Amino acid sequence: MESKAYNAFKMAQSQFDKVADLLDLEQSTRDLLRNPLREYHFSIPIRMDDGSSKVFRGFRVQHNDARGPGKGGIRFHPQETVDTVRALAMWMTWKCAVVNIPLGGGKGGVICDPHNLSMREQEQICRGWIRQISRDIGPLRDVPAPDVMTNAQHMLWMLDEFEAIHGAKYPGAITGKPVGMGGSLGRTEATGYGVIFTVREALREMKIRAENTVASVQGFGNVAQYAIRLYNEMGGTVCCVSSWDQADQTSYAFRKADGIDIDELMAITDRFGGIDKAKARDAGYEVLPGDAWIEQEADILLPCALENQITGENVGRIHKRVKIISEGANGPTTPEADAVIQQRGIFMIPDFLANAGGVTCSYFEQVQSNMNYFWEKGEVLGKLDVKMTSAYLDVSRLARERDIYMRDAAYVISINRVAQACKDRGWV
Amino acid sequence: MSEKKDMNVEMLVENLVERAKELNCVYRAEEILRDYDADLDGVFQQLLEIIPSGWQYSEYCLARIVFEGDTFESEGFEVTPCCQTVDIMVDGKKAGQIEVYYAQSDVLVKQCPFLPEEKKLLGTIADRLSHYITHRRLKTVLSNWKNAVEKIDERRDWTIVIEMVKRSDSSLFLRISRKMLNHLCWIGIPQAREQLQNFGDSRSESEQDMNRPMHKKNMNSLIALSDQTFAIAADNIPHQEILSLVQKWIQEDKLNYLILTLESLATSLGDIQNAITRYYHLDLDKIELSEYVRKNINVLCILRFLTEQLEFINIAKDFVTLSNFYDLVQHIIFPVNSHGKIGGKAAGIFLAHNILRNLGDDEMSAIRIPRTWYISSDTLHHFLYYNDLKEAIEQKYKSIEQVREEYNNLIQIFKNSFFPPEIIKGFALALDDLGDQPIIVRSSSLLEDRIGAAFSGKYKSLFLANQGTREERLAALMDAVAEVYASTFGPDPIEYRRERGLLDFHEEMAIIIQEVVGQRAGRYFFPAFAGVAFSSNEFRWSPRIKREDGLIRLVPGLGTRAVDRLADDYPILIAPGQPGLKVNVTADEQFRYSPRKIDVINLETNQFETKDMDELVRECGRDYPAIEKVVSVYSEGIFTTKSRFNLDFKRDDTVVTFDGLRTGTKFIERMGKILDTLKEKMHGPVDIEFAHNGEYIYLLQCRAQSYTHDVAPTPIPKDINEASIVFSANRYISNGRVPDITHIVYVDPEGYAGLESVEEMRTVGKAVGRLNDILPKRRFILMGPGRWGSRGDIRLGVPITYSDINNTAMLIEVARQKGNYTPDLSFGTHFFQDLVEASIRYLPLYPDDESVEFNERFLRGAHNILEDLLPNFKRLTHVVRVINVPRESDGKVLRVAMNAELDEALAYLSAPSNEAAPQIVQAEETTPQSENHWRWRYRMAEHIAKQLHIERFGVVAIYVFGSTKNANAGPASDIDLLLHVNGDETQKRELTAWLDGWSRCLSEINYLKTGYKTSGLLDVHLVTDQDIADKTSFAIKIGAITDAARLLRKA
Repeated sequence: MESKAYNAFKMAQSQFDKVADLLDLEQSTRDLLRNPLREYHFSIPIRMDDGSSKVFRGFRVQHNDARGPGKGGIRFHPQETVDTVRALAMWMTWKCAVVNIPLGGGKGGVICDPHNLSMREQEQICRGWIRQISRDIGPLRDVPAPDVMTNAQHMLWMLDEFEAIHGAKYPGAITGKPVGMGGSLGRTEATGYGVIFTVREALREMKIRAENTVASVQGFGNVAQYAIRLYNEMGGTVCCVSSWDQADQTSYAFRKADGIDIDELMAITDRFGGIDKAKARDAGYEVLPGDAWIEQEADILLPCALENQITGENVGRIHKRVKIISEGANGPTTPEADAVIQQRGIFMIPDFLANAGGVTCSYFEQVQSNMNYFWEKGEVLGKLDVKMTSAYLDVSRLARERDIYMRDAAYVISINRVAQACKDRGWV
Repeated sequence: MSEKKDMNVEMLVENLVERAKELNCVYRAEEILRDYDADLDGVFQQLLEIIPSGWQYSEYCLARIVFEGDTFESEGFEVTPCCQTVDIMVDGKKAGQIEVYYAQSDVLVKQCPFLPEEKKLLGTIADRLSHYITHRRLKTVLSNWKNAVEKIDERRDWTIVIEMVKRSDSSLFLRISRKMLNHLCWIGIPQAREQLQNFGDSRSESEQDMNRPMHKKNMNSLIALSDQTFAIAADNIPHQEILSLVQKWIQEDKLNYLILTLESLATSLGDIQNAITRYYHLDLDKIELSEYVRKNINVLCILRFLTEQLEFINIAKDFVTLSNFYDLVQHIIFPVNSHGKIGGKAAGIFLAHNILRNLGDDEMSAIRIPRTWYISSDTLHHFLYYNDLKEAIEQKYKSIEQVREEYNNLIQIFKNSFFPPEIIKGFALALDDLGDQPIIVRSSSLLEDRIGAAFSGKYKSLFLANQGTREERLAALMDAVAEVYASTFGPDPIEYRRERGLLDFHEEMAIIIQEVVGQRAGRYFFPAFAGVAFSSNEFRWSPRIKREDGLIRLVPGLGTRAVDRLADDYPILIAPGQPGLKVNVTADEQFRYSPRKIDVINLETNQFETKDMDELVRECGRDYPAIEKVVSVYSEGIFTTKSRFNLDFKRDDTVVTFDGLRTGTKFIERMGKILDTLKEKMHGPVDIEFAHNGEYIYLLQCRAQSYTHDVAPTPIPKDINEASIVFSANRYISNGRVPDITHIVYVDPEGYAGLESVEEMRTVGKAVGRLNDILPKRRFILMGPGRWGSRGDIRLGVPITYSDINNTAMLIEVARQKGNYTPDLSFGTHFFQDLVEASIRYLPLYPDDESVEFNERFLRGAHNILEDLLPNFKRLTHVVRVINVPRESDGKVLRVAMNAELDEALAYLSAPSNEAAPQIVQAEETTPQSENHWRWRYRMAEHIAKQLHIERFGVVAIYVFGSTKNANAGPASDIDLLLHVNGDETQKRELTAWLDGWSRCLSEINYLKTGYKTSGLLDVHLVTDQDIADKTSFAIKIGAITDAARLLRKA
């Protein structure tokens, strides 16, 4: 586990080095961006339910805040290492920069396994974490959010402790709060809609009308469902979706050549995105093996399930009609497959641009919290559209003008923006 | 054939109608005879009105009662030749008679068509009437007696009582005077001692030794002596005390008939029932009995009703009272001349309930049991003889295949059989008492729930909605009882008994008819929640949970889903000792592993049904008892509990979490207390079944929790080379070891997943069953994908039943990562209990976890001998792999070491040791086995002493003490060395460094041997001459009287 985590940070650094070479960054800038700006390591002593006391190890890594307050999740994980946290903090810096929101990158965590902790003990850890770092985070410095094994409940405990220490209300100190408790509307839709905003712009650039296109989607979770909905509203036809079948322990693809009906499918889907295959068959869907989604005759592929789904093995099965792939999931394409896609000239919208709708909405939550005025859903989604569209246009223009792959263009833009901010501040 | 069947059915229906009429008549009579204060003449008149209704031709039926010279007649009475008569007996003498006539119809009078059942009916009524009259009279006598006593009390004169007794009952008088004499001696009155000699024998002690018979004393002289006794008493103890003593003894004396009835082997359950009822009706239970009398009666009752098991009696005798038995006997259904018992399950719950009830703790006495009727164990045989089904008993000696084949047919034969009339009468009484609440018919076999053989789920339990007309309900009940009876002769219990050598035990099965705990909600009936609880937690999902923390498996609705292993659903697990630690933490886990189905009884269709929880909540959430304790509402990543008022059953996203129960009630704490109390009182861990109707906890079952003896953590060797490791595991490990495995049966997960039809999967199950018969017992292990033996979707695991795997040493469930799926563990289910009881080890394997080894090359590459063993299953060679371990590994065997403390298990190839397979033993807490940890440590200590440069380090002497010396070192123990030194600081430093080197090396060796990590194995203590003189700290170990340090070497 440890060696793998070590690799995560090394990998993030070498990815940065590649782009830094391309940009010909100065050594001092590289030195600054290769490593986190600040790291906090601390102990959190907790009185356990049985009266004994136990000390947990907590972290917060602030990779870079040249463009604005840090932003990033808090993870509760037993095998947490500071290197994982460093790598994730760096990725947050790039992700915020690519959608051009005025936030930096951070990440934090506690080494613990919530499976071994009662809710009260977890609350104590949350409050203890805040007590240790309350001076160095906050709406104007660094804004934590939920991540692995933490949720809105943990965020509320943390916010409460933060506000108790500072003696005032600071809803913008934490994001990921429930609606009505400082949360933002539109969060469930944000990621899926964001994927389609980028697809819409790509089609516009290619001068293809959405109503003449067909898409095939992998996954039927939250992201895929909202992506399909918006895509349908634009007039597009989804011919195939795949979904995991819990009972059979395999995934199936559900195909309807003249287009799936999202409402019809939602009615026969469980809360994990599993479609009832018998009922689907009755409703006229062809039930195919799970990986059939990739070989459909479609214009657009939307991998919205897991990582490493388009691989060297199956990349050859992508239909020649496919023009766009937009990565709704994190890292769905292996480097091997990525090379083939690039070589075939399929237009790739990379994950950290395509699925940045989520982090953008977190940013909106913070903005609304800071002014203590909350927008209607339409307003949130409208602003999301503006942000995503302009972020996309920046990346695609660069890719076109410099004739580089979209994934590289996205990295170049974000690293450039951060490097420039550091320079403007006179740091390097 | 079908015509015959039709006739049978017709006859059956006709019979049933008649029986129902008769029963109706009995109830009405019972109703009348309940009022002991009513006018006797009125009672006779009322009886005359209802008697004809029980006869086949009621309209022509007339009755007459003659009692002590008075005659009572029904309206329009006339005497005809067609007549039935039965006597009314009071105090053993005939006091009158009841007569029934058919009149007004010549045909009837001529044919006189009385049914044999009607004769019995008349007998029953007369019998009941006799009791009624006797009781009325006794009551009068008693109240007279009480009045007399009160009057005496006023006069404070006990002598009148004694005089009365002396005149009316001289033998009672003698018994009382003897007791008084003993009492006087006991409190040390000298005259009494003299008197005792007069009573017994006037000879001196030396004379008594001789072989001469004693003088017989005549009655009058005995009475005279007794008078003297009371004279002594009058001089020595206060009159008030004499009076109360005499009263107490007279009352105790009244118990004699009860004790005699209980003691005599000739008395039937009916006699005992009468005796206890009489005792109870005399209000004698309010008397404070002497301890010895009470215990004796308790033990006698336990022997007759519950069990002859001494362990049970030993515990039970302190916790039951005669009034508990009174309640019990009122609810037993038994044949004439019954000598049956109520079976293990019934006895277990009876005891547990009374332990909790008689504890004097309000919280514990609030625990209830459902209203219950018992069918005595010998009713089964009565039923078999009545229907001429004796050959069913021979079933157990047939081959299992034959048993299995004939089983379904047997069930049908049983269902088409008839019950003896007195049993049907009992059923009807039970149904009346239980009302139209749903009921469950459960087996309670004499073998069931004995320690070490739980028979869990082997016999049937059937739910009945118990709705409809009285006839329908009665027919359904008889049908269910017949089916449960048939299950005694099913293949699974027979196999199970055969294995435990219980086959020849005369199996008698009692049956429990119990109301189902619950409430009506919409069309359904179910409890708020139910489940099973164990005082020892064998499934510890967090290292913070200890075995003693216990385990509760909770489900909404009927408890069936907590008891059985489910393929598609998950009960909520709670450790009462650590209630805050949940198995599932993240929202996704909580959703995926929450109970999504609920078992209910549908009152409209009269069916037991499994419903979708979401649907049920939407349909009748408002009526669901205590639903706010059962479900949480999910919204934006958080689960919150809501009050009943705030719950929106149409829109809220509800999930079963039992969070409201955990935080808002004392339920978990109370369950923990029940488990602890029962564990303490029953001298060992228990497992219980319970249900909760939203208001009260109901106990449904209680028995000893089964265990394997070998619960000590086994060291995990670390010096095994990688090629010899077959697999390792580091999650959900229990303690134990499996030595000398010669065969591995590996069901290839990929091959199994690749099977196309359900039929093929069943064939795999059959192949495993056959291999189970062929392979050397307890010398092979089974490995395969998913959940074995689950009752649902067979694609999730190999379809087998317990009898298909009972010879394996270990069952390993392989969970290959597929999506985010991990298989449900078997812990805590009936299936798992079977494994535990048979000492079959269970281990879940997660081969895709990077930190574990999984030698797939060995498992898939070794030669498959399936074809040689089972040529018929040749086509399955790509799925079922049978590996002959010694042949594949140069004579080595497979060994599995499991250590729950380290949470590690390792299976490796090693030279055979011919150790015996572990045996089944009763639950007991054992200390860890010492193995050879101390021997090795001691040798090393000696070795260090020998190597030590005494002069160089300035050592005077070296000693060993602690666990190494005492031969109780465990795998993690250190070696305590005590060195007497007189060197300078440099020498001391060098000595410490030298020993530290040893310490580290030994620690490494220990780690390789056992897997236990220590920072050093030596615990070195240096003492100087001064320390020894001052006797400070460890210096006192030298030459100590107890537990002295042992000298290894001296300068």
